[in-house]
Amino acid sequence: MQSLTNLQKVLIIGSGPTEIGHETELDSATVQILTQFKKHGVRTLVIDNNPFSVALEEIQPTNMYIQAVTTPNVRHILEKDHPDALIATLGGLQGIRIAQELLENGDLGRYGVTLLGMPTSTLRQINNPADLNATLKEIHEPVIEAQVVQTTDEALGLVENIGFPLIVKPVAPRVDTNRTICENVDDMLTALNQGFQQSRFDQCTLERSVVGYKEVEMVAIRDAADTELLISGLENVDPIGIHSGDSIVVTPPQTLTDREYQDLRDATFRIATEFGIIGVLHVSFALNPANQHFYVTKLAPYFTRGVSLAARTVGYPVSLVTGALMLGQRLVDVKLPSQFTKQTAVMEPTSDHVTVRIPLWPFQEVPDADQHLDTAMKAVGSTIGIGRSVEEAMLKSVRSSQFSPRDVLPSVSNLTDGELISQLIHPLANRILVLIEALRRGYSPDELSELTKIDAFYFVKLQHLLTIERQIQEHPRDVEVLQRARYYGFGDGMIARIWDTDTATIRQLSAEAHIQPTYKMIEPTAGEFPEALSGYYSTFEYENESRALGDRTALVLGRGGNQLGPNSAAEYFTTEMLKQLKRAGYHTILMNTNPNAIGIAPEFSDKQYVDPIQLGDVLNVIQVEHPDIVIVPGNRHYLTRELKKLDLNLHVLPPDQETGEPAPKMATIGVSLFVHQQQKVAVGVMDMIAPGMNKALSQVTAFRMPAELPKAKRNNLVEQAKQAVSERQLTGMVQVLFAPKGDTKQLEVVGVRPTRLTEMAFLSKVTGINWVRMLTRQHIQTLDAAELAKITVDINSTRVALMNAAFPFRQLHVLNRPGSTDQEVGATIAFGSSEALTLSNLSDTEELDQIINRTI
Amino acid sequence: MAKRYLILEDGSAYAGEGFGAGATTSGEVIFNLNLLGYQETITDQIYHNQIIIFAQPAIGNVGINHDSYESILPTAKGMVVRDLTNISTNRLSKLSLDEFLRQHNIPGISGIDTRHLIRKLRTAGPMKGSIVDVADAHAFDQLNATVLTNRQVDQVATPKPYPNPDTGKNVVVIDFGLKHGILRQLSERRCNVTVLPWTASAQDVLNLDPDGVLLSTGPGSPLDLGTGVLDMIREVQAEIPLFAIGLGHELFALANGAKLTPLPVEYHGSGHPIRRIITNDILYATQGQGYAVVAKSIDRDRLITTYVDLINGTVQGLRHRDFPAFSVQFFADGAPGPHESRDLFDEFMEAMTSREG
Repeated sequence: MQSLTNLQKVLIIGSGPTEIGHETELDSATVQILTQFKKHGVRTLVIDNNPFSVALEEIQPTNMYIQAVTTPNVRHILEKDHPDALIATLGGLQGIRIAQELLENGDLGRYGVTLLGMPTSTLRQINNPADLNATLKEIHEPVIEAQVVQTTDEALGLVENIGFPLIVKPVAPRVDTNRTICENVDDMLTALNQGFQQSRFDQCTLERSVVGYKEVEMVAIRDAADTELLISGLENVDPIGIHSGDSIVVTPPQTLTDREYQDLRDATFRIATEFGIIGVLHVSFALNPANQHFYVTKLAPYFTRGVSLAARTVGYPVSLVTGALMLGQRLVDVKLPSQFTKQTAVMEPTSDHVTVRIPLWPFQEVPDADQHLDTAMKAVGSTIGIGRSVEEAMLKSVRSSQFSPRDVLPSVSNLTDGELISQLIHPLANRILVLIEALRRGYSPDELSELTKIDAFYFVKLQHLLTIERQIQEHPRDVEVLQRARYYGFGDGMIARIWDTDTATIRQLSAEAHIQPTYKMIEPTAGEFPEALSGYYSTFEYENESRALGDRTALVLGRGGNQLGPNSAAEYFTTEMLKQLKRAGYHTILMNTNPNAIGIAPEFSDKQYVDPIQLGDVLNVIQVEHPDIVIVPGNRHYLTRELKKLDLNLHVLPPDQETGEPAPKMATIGVSLFVHQQQKVAVGVMDMIAPGMNKALSQVTAFRMPAELPKAKRNNLVEQAKQAVSERQLTGMVQVLFAPKGDTKQLEVVGVRPTRLTEMAFLSKVTGINWVRMLTRQHIQTLDAAELAKITVDINSTRVALMNAAFPFRQLHVLNRPGSTDQEVGATIAFGSSEALTLSNLSDTEELDQIINRTI
Repeated sequence: MAKRYLILEDGSAYAGEGFGAGATTSGEVIFNLNLLGYQETITDQIYHNQIIIFAQPAIGNVGINHDSYESILPTAKGMVVRDLTNISTNRLSKLSLDEFLRQHNIPGISGIDTRHLIRKLRTAGPMKGSIVDVADAHAFDQLNATVLTNRQVDQVATPKPYPNPDTGKNVVVIDFGLKHGILRQLSERRCNVTVLPWTASAQDVLNLDPDGVLLSTGPGSPLDLGTGVLDMIREVQAEIPLFAIGLGHELFALANGAKLTPLPVEYHGSGHPIRRIITNDILYATQGQGYAVVAKSIDRDRLITTYVDLINGTVQGLRHRDFPAFSVQFFADGAPGPHESRDLFDEFMEAMTSREG
């Protein structure tokens, strides 16, 4: 490897807790860049307070700053640890904002820190629409003229020129969800009031609305020598007006002409050059389908969910390459792993499949939120379907969005015609089902395109799926129809429902007629070269490219797209479990549909299948791989039940959170034990904190460890806990719950349950012992009781840790706090002395936030 | 749609659904890796005699547009796709792909495992194939008996001169199966174009007193065109600035003493990085080639290599040492495909201007 720059120490600004706008994709990219840096002997520091971060597991404790990701805390590290360089592009919008503040107040210069990824002049301009537009105009990129206003009077003066609808955006916002479309003066005044508050400069911009245009995103990569290539284009099915994070996204773009596509590619490259980007650039465009004119609407020179999707769908190792570029390599010199035949990073990816991404919304858990899709993002996760036709990819993504555990699409046929029209114009989260229902009721693609501004092409595709559905209905057990249905993405469960039979019958019919899945590799050359990458998806064609991985294989079923509840903790769990399985000599196979999953990176699993985690599809993979063990996540009850009927070595991990005896109403102390054979290791005694007035167990969303109790009392609780566990014959990671008896202060055992995923991650971070791996080893029988006996955890540590759940309420504009466990979107963690983390009032959520986010 | 078959000379047969014309067709089966631009591809005359497999699985999505023709009378032999959409929804669209192919008597077949075919052809090399109604012994006999013409240029290039008037530089385009993208680039630069048949002599060219001469793209093997055209090139390049693309580039190389070799597998795509040697920068362009200039055969006293494909090492551009004459193997007009090599047309304009000065 050629010598890179003389960087020795780099600080990465972490992304903090998962929230609306970013999930595990940033942590995933961080892990890969860390690995790259490690290879080159660069010491990497990370600041993050996300207890579910996998990146934090990958570095030495001395390089870890588990602190709130804030400007003062980052400045403190610059002062104390003197990194040579700073990476802000892995921390989402917050990372960029912190770097901007450090630049503005002179800290970057003061501590001699180089910013990696872009010049400081670019950093200054991001999220400042006026500055950005001025530069874009200089290079003749069409932009929507934005006028900066400081008062409502100024705005009223401009209205006539701009015309309604117009868009109000705060300048340098503190949050990522803040464009408001205004139809009239009243709307505008409301939006301005809110915008002035959100802006760091008390300013807003006004601009012409391009609502109804196509939204197309381009993801490119550039090096210091100005070599640029396009990784992929992303087409939003929904038009401008619906946040791209809430839109169904298709890649590669399907309804653009080559000329439109190339014009956007050209513009992306000009922008990358002008702004001196080193690494990834994600640009959004509004394209007028009537005349091919376009506007640049957003510029993100940092890792985003769009970057993650682009990379996943073409199989280009974006993070690895970006890591090399940040160390000063040029694209032509970056050597890819040998799985890539040509081992070069400068082949522009092409593609021979279609990927569709569908957002997942939190409205079931947060029913108070306004469920209309608009310019503020509301989705908390997404799931993808890959196929060899738009229909197949679309249907797979819908089937993966977990509408139904049995792989059946729900119907919205109960809507009145009026409601239907209203929802076509003002879409809700069930958008795709409403579009399908409208076609069922006889609306034509052109009519629907007119109403929704969605390209008629997509209605033609959905209509095709309805035609096939009708054929299935009209021809029970017809193998030709079965062939067509599977070819276009219908799941076994869907077909079984229509034919009023079970999945097994469908599978038997298919086997008899030789209608078998064929797996295709996800790789960036569209078959030009014999790549040996590890990602596959299914389709029903002629050639199957996937061969069984070999001996000692473990198939791990992922949890699909991120949703509220313990999902980011589950992602942490799955990744750590994969690592342990690998360490134990298993070849690991992961099935998942979450494009942002960490475990789906080739670093963590030997093979990946991007296919719906539904019974039929899982059985298809099992048929190819014959895994020695199959691991199914605890929240998939139907799937688990069905798989248990088969002759499989099945394990439920992460464990089912709902097993065990009925949960008590409340608990104030939790004692965690790791139980293995005769061993019961005390892992921790923690305060169970339910902020707010309602102390129900489901509202316990903060934890403090060790619990604020005298040492003797803690030891005593541990003994009681061991006793309780012995009586119940439980194994694994167990939590014994305590609550005051009646009105006394006397604590008594009120319940025992498997330790929740969030707390398991917390316990791992606090004790420095990876309990996920322990649990995994227990399942695969590589855990030695004698070894376990040697482990001692100081349950009376003087270092105190606090974990607090993060909720999406602010972005959803609801006042739900305190939240419950099934509304968690992520969590934050803090360490400190007992004094620093003392809670004077356990019901005070503000105080919790303050302590967690305090300046170190 | 009717069930039809794609059969290959190795004896394999693939069932699919016919679209476009219902005729039986035979041709050389090649694959194209471009993401978009099926209309530009199918109308490009370089595909004369060929059946094109499209790597991108969803084809037909934007219908047929008035401004995406690379020729008005396409002569490709067939299209092989995974999934066809029969639609004409784009605002600019006049026709669906299916209708268009029927009008031009080109058969297509969908529902084919195109990825499998590409994986097969990338190692097996060129192969004859047919789209037929019945894949029986007779069909294979017919296929094996098929002899593909080597007179492709004659069949697609203009037999008569025609003008494309404007007010700028006088440019003579020698048509070997010209793609319209070249004319569009010249029009954008206000060139007053005269298109001449490829059989034009140097005198025919010089009689028009052009500021520059452009040798166009075209189908087939440059080795089949005889030596007359090479004489013409040698004579013209000594007098007038010359720019050659695709087949034109191959002829320019031959005329200046270089040798050509057939590629083991034709390459049609735009993902290969191409290095511009003088600046060391990298660009992408649509490439469509069955032959390549043999690097070792280049007479360094006459020609300089200007561009090289970093993936397969092929020579992608040449420049004459003594004359303002240069050529590129890739399609600098960017229709379809990346646009960043369009500045070669500016270079051509400069060559014409500096000759005047």
